[in-house]
Amino acid sequence: MSASADHPRPRPSLFASSLRIARDPLVLLILAILVLGSLTSEYYLTMRNLETLLRFMAVIGLLSLGVTIVMLTGRIDLSVAAIMVFSVISAVVFTKLLGGWIGERWVVRGNSFVGPASVVFLATLVVGCVLGLMNGIGIAHFKVSSFIMTLVTLTALRGGNYILTDGHPYYLQSDAFRWVGNADFLGIPFSFLVFCSVLAFLAWLMGRTNFGRHVYAIGGNEKAAIYAGLKTNRIVILTFMISGLCSAVAGILFTSRLASVDAPLASGYELTAIAIAVIGGTALSGGVGSPWRTLLAAVAFAAGLNLLSIWGVSTWYQNLAIGLTLLIAVGLSPASRKRLQL
Amino acid sequence: MGLAEQSTIQRVENRPRLPDRLVVGPDAIRAAVLIVLLAAGALLTPGYLSLENFRILLMSVAAVGIVAYGMTLVVISGEIDLAVAGTAVLSAIVGATLLDTGSPVLVIGATLVTGLAIGLVNGVLTAFVGIPSLIVTLAMLGISRAVANIISRGQASYPDSVAAYLWFGNGKLLGLPTPIALLLSIGALMVVLTRFTTFGPALYATGGNTKAAVLSGIRARSVKLSVFMICGVLAATGGMIESARLSYINPAAFAGLELEALAITVLGGAALAGGSGSILGTLLAALIIGVVNNLLNQLGVSLYTQRVVTALVILAVVLPGYKRRQIAK
Repeated sequence: MSASADHPRPRPSLFASSLRIARDPLVLLILAILVLGSLTSEYYLTMRNLETLLRFMAVIGLLSLGVTIVMLTGRIDLSVAAIMVFSVISAVVFTKLLGGWIGERWVVRGNSFVGPASVVFLATLVVGCVLGLMNGIGIAHFKVSSFIMTLVTLTALRGGNYILTDGHPYYLQSDAFRWVGNADFLGIPFSFLVFCSVLAFLAWLMGRTNFGRHVYAIGGNEKAAIYAGLKTNRIVILTFMISGLCSAVAGILFTSRLASVDAPLASGYELTAIAIAVIGGTALSGGVGSPWRTLLAAVAFAAGLNLLSIWGVSTWYQNLAIGLTLLIAVGLSPASRKRLQL
Repeated sequence: MGLAEQSTIQRVENRPRLPDRLVVGPDAIRAAVLIVLLAAGALLTPGYLSLENFRILLMSVAAVGIVAYGMTLVVISGEIDLAVAGTAVLSAIVGATLLDTGSPVLVIGATLVTGLAIGLVNGVLTAFVGIPSLIVTLAMLGISRAVANIISRGQASYPDSVAAYLWFGNGKLLGLPTPIALLLSIGALMVVLTRFTTFGPALYATGGNTKAAVLSGIRARSVKLSVFMICGVLAATGGMIESARLSYINPAAFAGLELEALAITVLGGAALAGGSGSILGTLLAALIIGVVNNLLNQLGVSLYTQRVVTALVILAVVLPGYKRRQIAK
């Protein structure tokens, strides 16, 4: 549970970070969960369960990667889960309208969507990006505090979900959805590969580019970053767009797997995403954390929740565990606590 | 003590600057907005200004208004409480486990004590452990909902057997329906607390500048702890009123209550940075939100659209302050 590891150096090189990761307490935690799982359940280490685990991990991992990038600037994004579901729903509705416009009927009996998945995927990504942009503009330009802005987005989008679906789920019946949801290569689920490529890209972006350096600079000391001439507004907006995009990708993977999308889907996932980012050592105050460590935390989290499911622990207890984990992780992380000056 | 003097200074400083006046301005403007909305309602619907419609309107905002009082105190202290919905649900459910005893003292007592306890935990973790209240209360929202479901096994309860409990929703107090009487009397109590006791200036000072408050001898941690506990009790009270009104205690209730309460608080003039805000403003804002929802209902707008409207109201109130915030940064 020791999420408190001190990592004062904000931007480790790839080699150094992989070295550090090998002796990371999170790795030990993951190993402990895997050993415990294999000892207590014969199903835990089966291919089938590991696939399920990786698929779930890809979704919450993507959400927490987005949150991590935003948190590195010292801000927070509570709207990831809402964006994830809303972007898919609005894309499906958009495609339905588009179909009506060119004279095709893409939503058939029983609210089944049978139209072209590629249009839905593209629209989902665009919507995710635009919503992130809106969050970013409100926060960077209008200086609304990030949690209010994203809380407003969260509520508005959750309301919007019901308005767009009228409370009925859409069933996604095109082959492309089935493929995205079920395909695997050599036993590795497609969604996990997508997650890995996003992770690799973000790790490169944060570790090797000026943009990454600037993000850490803003999180470390925003005033100094402004005086150093960084275009902080633009960078903050970009981080929220990255987060929106990650959420949209997660939405595609998640709903394809379920072959349906429903308004109340994934409610409360923002809590999981933040918990993972914090367990991975991302500081709420910004400037500390990395995508690699978020990966480790996501694996540990997914493995733990999966084990709880296998043990037959109900969702309610799992939610309880998520909440407690978040509190303990932040409580143990010195960088995330701010003592009153007494 | 010099606290009274400090409070006047505090109040002068907290007067919003000119460009903000129209939006987060003084209570007179809020009252004017309220009157305009009522006039609009009267034009749209015959019989809008009837006593019966006022009763419906006030009943609809009583519970959330009481929760918003607590939220206002927390926001003035410079913190936030996103757990109010979870607090309301868990306290109501804990109270419901004692329904079989038939004792109103036990049921109501357990409900309020649970609210107090959740507020205590929020306050200790925020003020003494130093975890940001956003995270504490967000986690607490998830935890209390989960515990409420675990205790109740996801089942709703019906408090019909305890008449005193139902009184909170359907009874009369001083000739008024109980929820309305409570909304007004708790509001009066909170006005006294924030304006006529030494706690008030200590609260505004803590939220305005914690370091300065501590240096001038105010125990900022205790102040923050107390507002979280008050907020917990008020959230439990709001939850109890709503559960009693529907005579239905539901572990899935109150979704989005935190945002509604926050919307009212912000509309009431409290700045999220802390140090400003007033109970009277919050009461007026609750009435405005009530009238808006009431009008939307009359126009046949769905509940979900109303939630979107609530979100947009917050944005509309928060956005225009940006010039000042830019300068502050």
